[in-house]
Amino acid sequence: MKRFLPFLCCLLFLAGCTAPSADAEPAQVQFFSMDTVMSIRVYNEGGEDAIQAARQEVERLDKLLSRTNPDSQISLLNSHAGDGTLISLDAEVADLLSFAKSVSQLLPGCFDITIAPVMDAWGFTKEERHVPSAEALADAMSLVNSEALIVDEASSSARLEQAGMEVDLGAVAKGFAAGRADAVLREYGVTSALLDLGGNVTAIGSKLDGSAWQVAVKDPQNTSEALCVLSLEDQTASTSGGYERYFEENGQTYHHIIDPKTGYPADSGLLSVTVISSDHMLADALSTTLFVAGPEEALDFWRSRDDFELVLCTEDNRVIVTEGLEAGYRPAGEDRGYTYEIARR
Amino acid sequence: MRSPAADRRRPTLWDGLVVLAVVAFAVLLVFLLRPAEGSAVTAVITLDGETVAQYRLDQLSQPVTLDVEGAAYPLTIRAEQGRICIEHSDCPSQDCVRTGWISRPGQQIICLPNRLVISLSGTEPEPFDAVTG
Repeated sequence: MKRFLPFLCCLLFLAGCTAPSADAEPAQVQFFSMDTVMSIRVYNEGGEDAIQAARQEVERLDKLLSRTNPDSQISLLNSHAGDGTLISLDAEVADLLSFAKSVSQLLPGCFDITIAPVMDAWGFTKEERHVPSAEALADAMSLVNSEALIVDEASSSARLEQAGMEVDLGAVAKGFAAGRADAVLREYGVTSALLDLGGNVTAIGSKLDGSAWQVAVKDPQNTSEALCVLSLEDQTASTSGGYERYFEENGQTYHHIIDPKTGYPADSGLLSVTVISSDHMLADALSTTLFVAGPEEALDFWRSRDDFELVLCTEDNRVIVTEGLEAGYRPAGEDRGYTYEIARR
Repeated sequence: MRSPAADRRRPTLWDGLVVLAVVAFAVLLVFLLRPAEGSAVTAVITLDGETVAQYRLDQLSQPVTLDVEGAAYPLTIRAEQGRICIEHSDCPSQDCVRTGWISRPGQQIICLPNRLVISLSGTEPEPFDAVTG
């Protein structure tokens, strides 16, 4: 029997060895809202109720903010453009309009939520993409002016001063929704979750093992590959790039991020911009703005503030990562010709 | 106190049996503890949230073509061993066709006008948790 004792002990101890279990399957949902695909994954146990509540919150905001929904508050605001009516809005809508106006002032000429008529002229709204005639573009450009969007936060109301003007919150609504969904999940006690609102990824808390979420940034020239991988906790990574929506006409490619200064697709030397911030709405707004601004202006702006970090991918295959991300990032596109550099303050 | 085994020079039949049992058990463990699958890749196709088809891409021996019924804009999906793409779509944006082939767990093809998503999942752990862009 003694001979067998070590063998039995081995058996007993080995019983503890099982194949490494896959990470616990999160509760998750995928749905369409805000003209994009969204998913919510909650890793805490019993996350189903939290997920449904967060989804309902996003869908509620879509109904309020959508320009293509005739019953939304934004449609109401747009339909009264130029007639002098001050439109009463929910406080959160007035705050969001006010925030969008403030971003226009931070980087003048790079961001304007009244760009909607120009997006329509290019056919990006109704998916009939085409190069507009010079006349149609000039007409649309004459309606772009966020100074003529008057917002009164005290009375939660707003008006557009010129007939034909329209507001489109596409560049800020997903970030705003991420902030609200984040708050709803936390009310349910969620501490470990991932939101993907159309490519804007919000990391809530950390993984259940306490480590940071690993979020890949898409390679704008080969979207099935990663440019780099970032470590995120309680932050949003929002990416804007010309590769997301575009069309070709007469051999030329035209993408959907329109420069408010020219009315044409932004041509700033950048292929994509990823903004990482604990302010979800700021991350969303700045990714579009800094894509239009270009690499030098983007880095100058980053140096002037301390509330976000950047990954810039330039047309000459440089990937510029700001120093706040340095510790947790790893490059992933060296074999595709990218060179990586750290931008310092 | 010395054990009887310490007085013997030659291994007995019992020693041999123990060796055999340990070896047999080790071999058994190798089989029990190996991962369930090599590198399974499953493509799930959903139309407005409803699953309409599912393929084990690693096990496809013949290419498969699927015309998705019920899609607002007629759409054809092609799956081959290890990869899948949207071969044709009548949707106005064509973003889905331009995505091309996908083959790795975590990748997606999205046709927004059709509200159609092709998602790949697999048994191999993915090197990241989410993708921005």
